[in-house]
Amino acid sequence: MPITITAPKAVRPSYAAADNASDDSDSDASSDNGAADLEGDIPMASSRRKEDKSYSIVTPGEVITDDPQWMRGHGTFVSPSTSAIVSSVAGTITRTNKLLSVRPLRARYTPEVGDLVVGRIVEVQAKRWRVDVGASQLASLPLSAINLPGGILRKRTETDELQIRTFFAEGDLLVAEVQQLFSDGGAVLHTRSLKYGKLRNGVFVAVSGMGGGSGVVRSRRQVWTMEAANGAGPLDIVLGVNGFVWISKHVETPEALIAETKSATTGITNLEESVSTTMYSSQNDRIGVETMREISRIRGVVTALVENGLRVDEDMLVRGYHEAVEMAMLGEGPDDIYLGGERGEQLAAALTGV
Amino acid sequence: MPLDTSAYSLALLRVDGRRWNELRRIHAQIRTQAAADGSSYLEMGHTKVMCVVTGPSEPGPRRGTAGAGAAGASKAVAEVAVSVVVAGFSSVDRKKRGRNDKRNLELQSTIANALAASLHTHLFPHSVIQVSLHVLSQDGSLLAALINAATLACVDAGIPMTDYVVACTAGSTSTYAAGDESADPLLDLNHQEEQELPGLTVATLGESDRVAVLVCESRVQVGRLEGMLAVGVDGCKQVREILDRVVRDKGKRMVLEGTVAKGEGLEDMDLD
Repeated sequence: MPITITAPKAVRPSYAAADNASDDSDSDASSDNGAADLEGDIPMASSRRKEDKSYSIVTPGEVITDDPQWMRGHGTFVSPSTSAIVSSVAGTITRTNKLLSVRPLRARYTPEVGDLVVGRIVEVQAKRWRVDVGASQLASLPLSAINLPGGILRKRTETDELQIRTFFAEGDLLVAEVQQLFSDGGAVLHTRSLKYGKLRNGVFVAVSGMGGGSGVVRSRRQVWTMEAANGAGPLDIVLGVNGFVWISKHVETPEALIAETKSATTGITNLEESVSTTMYSSQNDRIGVETMREISRIRGVVTALVENGLRVDEDMLVRGYHEAVEMAMLGEGPDDIYLGGERGEQLAAALTGV
Repeated sequence: MPLDTSAYSLALLRVDGRRWNELRRIHAQIRTQAAADGSSYLEMGHTKVMCVVTGPSEPGPRRGTAGAGAAGASKAVAEVAVSVVVAGFSSVDRKKRGRNDKRNLELQSTIANALAASLHTHLFPHSVIQVSLHVLSQDGSLLAALINAATLACVDAGIPMTDYVVACTAGSTSTYAAGDESADPLLDLNHQEEQELPGLTVATLGESDRVAVLVCESRVQVGRLEGMLAVGVDGCKQVREILDRVVRDKGKRMVLEGTVAKGEGLEDMDLD
């Protein structure tokens, strides 16, 4: 055969040994029970199951329990003929009192009320936007759930509906909160806080979210401002629970601006207007080169964390960033922001303390 | 090149040295592409395919069709869309296959129906599960390999399903023309055998005997069919065992690395 197709290599070379081990067991498995038994029943199966139980991985079609006292949760179903609870995804079992559910090894994000998400507008409709938040359905953001420029007490009018695209247009990024869920799993977002709204002055990274596997995890703080190294000034970081991350130059929050202007004794209407003029702007501010470098360094840390199977949260990211800055100072060369490959592994090793 | 079946009765060995009931080597990997929702790579002998699953996700506004949003939105269950691309270099002769090749379309719809029956599509209304399969190398049992790869990728994507849909082929040792009613059945045909001998592809739902797909494109005496089907179904069980092991190994490794939180075994659950 003129062309040889080789199997894809493991992403991480450090686990090559483990991969080979599984290869061997593969071929063993196919050779030692390669003979079909017309009578059915492969004796190997049950013994293998038991050995795997210690890791509590269940796979689709595996009976978790046939005890009727348990209730089925996500990732499980009740087989129609018996009353046994059967797993429908590959993952680990979790239980809450009598509720058995299976957390998949990896899945798409499933929205929950109160989640902070970063999303992208994909469609503009008459009275709402459709937002891609990485879930199985598009989330919707009604016009009534955003802060209109001109203050909270402002009435929504038909002119707002007509110029809906001036607030958010297709492709715009925003940070929002899940306000409610429909019964079919669709989410409704709101940006009724000065913390939320349109995103600019930064960079977007998509990693896997709360569905399972590595990536962003729910934690106490999803949004924070940190001081960057090399005189880059403060940076804002938004870790959306859906796995979308936003890293941007810090701009004074509107609340801070209001407080400032209040002390300067301006009328309340004036200041709210001044705030709202920037609220839906798509124009980036001027960003210095050193700030851009630090933003991309943080982005590198995020991808390095994900590549090495580590969780992405405030603690890991801040520590990872300081580690990366230190690594860059020790190493010489122009490409000190790069955190892929070996450097990423080095970073991960430093973080996990191995 | 005609397949010499006369030698089979002497040593009971097939052209590639297997016995009648032996599978070829199956090698499978999941999560081969980090950026995809689910991905897999599968080799059954020299048949090599890879699969990428995107979704379930809701397609954005479709251009070209008027009022498209409403058309997709009325769906109560997820749609499974399968696309099969056969690489030009995959077989010995470079055959140009168009996008609307009839064989290709049939493969796609067979796989889509089989998956849709097993996947819990009712959990994802308005959405589409896009399964794209790429055939890198062909050596018989193509449909079976494609179904197995698609199942693995769906497991990797974390899409709930009733059970694995696993497939395998079965054949018979002598041609239809020989008229031999008592010919032995064969498991897992390679390309050479597929060309000469009658064969069928069977897919079952996991360990059960429930047949999800049964495709037979060749002439065969009805008396031989039962034996072939029995061998095929049994082969599916073996394939399920192998695929299940691949998923378990991956899961185990993820638990060991701490990527996924350790689950609770049923043993350490207090049952009061």
